[in-house]
Amino acid sequence: MAKIIVITSGKGGVGKTTTSAAFASGLALRGYRTVVIDFDVGLRNLDLIMGCERRVVYDLINVIQGEAKLQQALIKDKRCENLYVLPTSQTRDKDALTTEGVTAVMDELRKEFDYIVCDSPAGIESGALMALYHADEAIVVTNPEVSSVRDSDRILGILAARSRRAELGEEPVKEHLLLTRYSPKRVEDGEMLSLGDVKELLRTPLLGVIPESEVILQASNQGIPAIHMENSDVAEAYKDVVARFLGEERPLRFIQPVKVGFFKRLFGG
Amino acid sequence: MVNPGTESSAPLRVAGGVFTLSILHLESNNPQQLAQRIAEEYRRHPAAADFHRHAPVVLDLSAIPEEAPLALPEILEVLRAAHWFPVGLRNAAPGHQALAQALHLPVLRGQERNAAPQPETPPPAQTVPANPGGLIIDHPIRGGQRNYARGGDLVCLAAVNAGAEIMADGNIHVYGPLRGRALAGVNGQETARIFCMSLEAELVSVAGLYRTLEPGYPLWGKAAQIYSRDEQLHITALNL
Repeated sequence: MAKIIVITSGKGGVGKTTTSAAFASGLALRGYRTVVIDFDVGLRNLDLIMGCERRVVYDLINVIQGEAKLQQALIKDKRCENLYVLPTSQTRDKDALTTEGVTAVMDELRKEFDYIVCDSPAGIESGALMALYHADEAIVVTNPEVSSVRDSDRILGILAARSRRAELGEEPVKEHLLLTRYSPKRVEDGEMLSLGDVKELLRTPLLGVIPESEVILQASNQGIPAIHMENSDVAEAYKDVVARFLGEERPLRFIQPVKVGFFKRLFGG
Repeated sequence: MVNPGTESSAPLRVAGGVFTLSILHLESNNPQQLAQRIAEEYRRHPAAADFHRHAPVVLDLSAIPEEAPLALPEILEVLRAAHWFPVGLRNAAPGHQALAQALHLPVLRGQERNAAPQPETPPPAQTVPANPGGLIIDHPIRGGQRNYARGGDLVCLAAVNAGAEIMADGNIHVYGPLRGRALAGVNGQETARIFCMSLEAELVSVAGLYRTLEPGYPLWGKAAQIYSRDEQLHITALNL
């Protein structure tokens, strides 16, 4: 049975799309048939991050409105055998997403895939509600700052109240916290909330910590999911996240400031 | 006036308000009898005449049977002659409501009329839950969520996060950090209290008295109780 995972946050710019791309790629690298869906209608970004923007012909909205078959809209990822991207429309707005349409697409995808990753838009309006409605599990992406934590708290409340599982009175959506853009140095300097602070405020099981890194920017600009950036701490952190999601034990990494050695400090890096 | 003589672009100011009005329970549909009763009352308590002079009054018709004819214009005339200002009706039967509308007299809501004068029916079989109105919540209450324990206490065994709002007609107990808003005794019960293990609330209120809190507050992060006494909100440490 396919599992539907929503990547959400409430706040924008915290790393939902980056995480969706890296996480879906990571699942596919593990051999699972995976599809990642862009729900941010009108602000199409996932295809850019996945590096398939020039191959978009049909999109989710075309499928919902019956203008294309699902198979025509699914784009096969060029790096992973088992990964497909379902892009969204750049020209329509979020009202083009209908509950029935999304449900029909989800039902069809369930038959084909092991994991369905939904990249939610920011905010708490209909697009975000559509993205989280069918979720079995949710990864709430949070930055270590007060407003992001506050918005994540809000979206956790909405998950508990407005998802399909909540409406049907089934077992609640399984929640995971993913802390992104974490800079241990700035936490030490008191500029950022610490991991402990965020855990204490949200009280949601931690799936992982992704360090703040320039590699993310390079990856986005090149259209490469960050998990493919070999030898980077970001790629390693996302691999840990996927492993933990699949039930493996992995110690947290990249949460201590890097100690700068005496000579490096003396002569510069 | 902003611009005398020209059309003002500001919207019309319409706001809600709550007023205290006297309610007169009408005993019969007979205007003469009402006049007589008022006259008796004024004779017995001359001060009452002064007290009621020009007082707005709402007529309660719950004692008037649905099918009884109602000489509403005459009744209003009697009241006005006694220097009352009838401003509305309540608990009126549908037919009587139509009469009031014809006279441009508002029909006010509240305490809906019983279908018929109830002949002693036994109370419905025990539908009351064992814990009437009480609410026990064992998961964190998130920002934007609202929980109300109508007619009882609210107990939260987890955190009440910033932006959340919990309300109870009775007491509130929070065993995780209280970071949102907590309102106890919202139906006016002044003896209601709030108990919490870590006071970090945005706002606390008991029976309408409220205050906001800031991180510098002396009991911030401490176990505390909040209660009302002599029209004042008191916050004291829970030293158990």
